[in-house]
Amino acid sequence: MPLGSAHRLVPEATFIDPDPDADRAAAEAAFEALAAFSPGIAGSADPLDAAFGLFEVQVDGLEALWGAEPVLVGRLVEALGWDEIRAGIAGTRFTATVAAVLARPGAPELVAPGGEADFLAPHPSGLLTQDPDVRARLTRFGLRRIGAIADLDRTALVARFGEEGARIHARARGEELEPFRPRRAPERLVLGLPIEPAAEDLEPLRFVLHRLAGALTGQLAARGLAAARARLHLDLDLAFALAGTQGEVDVEQRFPEPTADAEAIERLLFARLERTPPPAAVARLVLELDGTVPAAGQQLPLFTPQAARGARLEWQLARLALTFGEDRVRRVEVTDPEAPLPETRWAWRPVISGDRGVAP
Amino acid sequence: MATLSPDVTAAVASLQARWGAAAPRITDGALALAPATAPSLHSVPDPTPTPATTRDDRVIHTGFAALDAILGPGGLPRSASVAIRGDGSSGRTTLVLRLAAEAQAQGSIVAWLDLSRSFDPVEAVARGIKLEWLVVITPETLDEGLAISGMLLAGRSTDMLVLDLPGGRLAATDKPARIADRLGRLAALARRSETLLVVLEPPGLAGGLASAVAESTGIRLELARRSWIRLGRDIVGQRTDALVARNRYGPPGKRATLRILYAEGGERDACLGRDDLLRDDLDEAKAPDIDERTHRDATPPSPPTAPPPRTRPGTSLRALPDRPAHPGRPAVGSGSGHRREPGRPGAGRPARDAARERPSARP
Amino acid sequence: MTRLLRGHPAIDVETDPTGSIVAIAWNGRRETVEVCNRWRVEEAWWRGPIARDYFKVVGSRWLALIYLDRVEQTWHLERLYD
Repeated sequence: MPLGSAHRLVPEATFIDPDPDADRAAAEAAFEALAAFSPGIAGSADPLDAAFGLFEVQVDGLEALWGAEPVLVGRLVEALGWDEIRAGIAGTRFTATVAAVLARPGAPELVAPGGEADFLAPHPSGLLTQDPDVRARLTRFGLRRIGAIADLDRTALVARFGEEGARIHARARGEELEPFRPRRAPERLVLGLPIEPAAEDLEPLRFVLHRLAGALTGQLAARGLAAARARLHLDLDLAFALAGTQGEVDVEQRFPEPTADAEAIERLLFARLERTPPPAAVARLVLELDGTVPAAGQQLPLFTPQAARGARLEWQLARLALTFGEDRVRRVEVTDPEAPLPETRWAWRPVISGDRGVAP
Repeated sequence: MATLSPDVTAAVASLQARWGAAAPRITDGALALAPATAPSLHSVPDPTPTPATTRDDRVIHTGFAALDAILGPGGLPRSASVAIRGDGSSGRTTLVLRLAAEAQAQGSIVAWLDLSRSFDPVEAVARGIKLEWLVVITPETLDEGLAISGMLLAGRSTDMLVLDLPGGRLAATDKPARIADRLGRLAALARRSETLLVVLEPPGLAGGLASAVAESTGIRLELARRSWIRLGRDIVGQRTDALVARNRYGPPGKRATLRILYAEGGERDACLGRDDLLRDDLDEAKAPDIDERTHRDATPPSPPTAPPPRTRPGTSLRALPDRPAHPGRPAVGSGSGHRREPGRPGAGRPARDAARERPSARP
Repeated sequence: MTRLLRGHPAIDVETDPTGSIVAIAWNGRRETVEVCNRWRVEEAWWRGPIARDYFKVVGSRWLALIYLDRVEQTWHLERLYD
């Protein structure tokens, strides 16, 4: 909810700045606690992820270990040690998520096996999708309840909404769509190379960066992983540097999307170095790839022609932003269309960093 | 007639088994990607611009059928460079936003060079633009903006580039000769990369820059507001005359009238669909002034005498009181002009494209 | 469509003896205008109060949206209809 809307609802509230690092640490601790109960844990520790705060636990076959489902849920909640936890159990990931959203703290929502469609039927159809355009269209068509979606012919939804139509139809009927992908512990890949003699210019750095990126992305690809961030560490040769120059430079760079593309990583990081050249000759370059996740396959852009070029666009925008400045090339998003003041209805969205919602 | 390989035929059969009528079809030995028919859920038309399967993807439609009709190929060719001129409140920006929305509907990614620092995303969404396929560039200078634009086009990840030029003098660092050269190169790059380049010329554009724009563009549209459209005393739209002053792709000299309505959200927008409530406020003292040779922002003519507010029989002109309620807030919807407040269910009535062209009132 | 002038540049506004707006001056140009709509926005914004009187004004060249910031008592140009 946008800040302006929240304040209108509760004018006496105090608003606290976010602390992503603390949030991330808390999430990692939660995953660790849950992992003691089940090998199948999923979710995101990234506070910027839309699914942050949602923890998925595969509980199939765990009754023998931890007791019946209500007892198991109680143990999981106790293990997390938080006050306001809402829990749901169901046969599909989507139904379980809805059940958790609708549950009250201390009163988990349990959906009987095979009862997913009946459970979902009376609830708003807007729960089926994150796409605001699809939500609006469902409302315009008078399809306000999930049950109404489930009753429709699948081909009609596909014709109207494309792939998303097939997804919402399957969800409405209690069919499992998305396979459960257990979370892995984050892997860090790091490799460094000395540069002799120390490099004053950027071109030799590019060559070294090319080798490092190639080697590390090869490891990523072999494991079916993609990296979301990179860290560059530069050891500087201060022999001819100005007095007061620091001996090390550290650069952290988020990617537009997780990737194992060596060339894309190299070009982005080199653009970063071009924008802010090191203050002295570089004697050693260390590259670390971080935030690894399972590499996602590319979806066929049958119904969204732009999607096929979306990744390339993001990388190009990231390079342009690094070259010219992050305030030169940006996206925009509508944050609170009902805000009475026009300057609070929308915000700039950087193309690179994770910061969101920069006011105009 | 080409014959498809057994592998492709088998793949299509598999897609059809999965997707049914929405799957690609084999027609005359070729693969058609657009569904032949779309089973309808309801009769409510979708207000967002949707690409018709029969449209020529080599042209981008303007969103105004009458304007498309006079442009020659039925729209703006993808590799064209277009200059749109017009005085204040001529409708230039509305036209380009509708054009961008149509381009996106046809699969384009749009970049907007916002030199005038006046792009409004909420308005853009109301006109049908998808922000996820829009890039906004806000450079410090025109020169920097052209450099960024050039790199963007060279990367071939955008299909339409809008240069929203600022009025007034150029920045000190924007040397006219350099700007003119860069603009020419940008236009050439746009042609090669089949990117639609649209230059929004403000009134009072610096002389050197105006010449550079003229040399770089193959189509020039001149817009002039002909009349306001009023709802009571309020102005809720305008009629604009569009002249194709120059056209490398068809005959120049043709004109069309565009009807533009400002949908600002709220209950009042329902009145915009009622033609009997709207009236054209044609100002006889201000005839449309479209000069094909020069279009300079000369000293404005003496302001015409404002006509007294008219009232319809049986209605009263209510003095607008001081009240905290906003008569309409810009609402965001997926429509191309018809905006409604988010969160509210639609009434099921047909949505209207508020920026739709209407036939000219002239015979 | 309207152009939203970021920064809401300050303008000068002339009123007649009855207080009605008759002209605005911006960027060195003066334009006689007529008010065709007006409304008020008030918000108890958590940083401080917001109170604006909006006026939709039409002149020979532009249809524009201006407002009086009642807290600062300054006039601003917010939008140009184009």
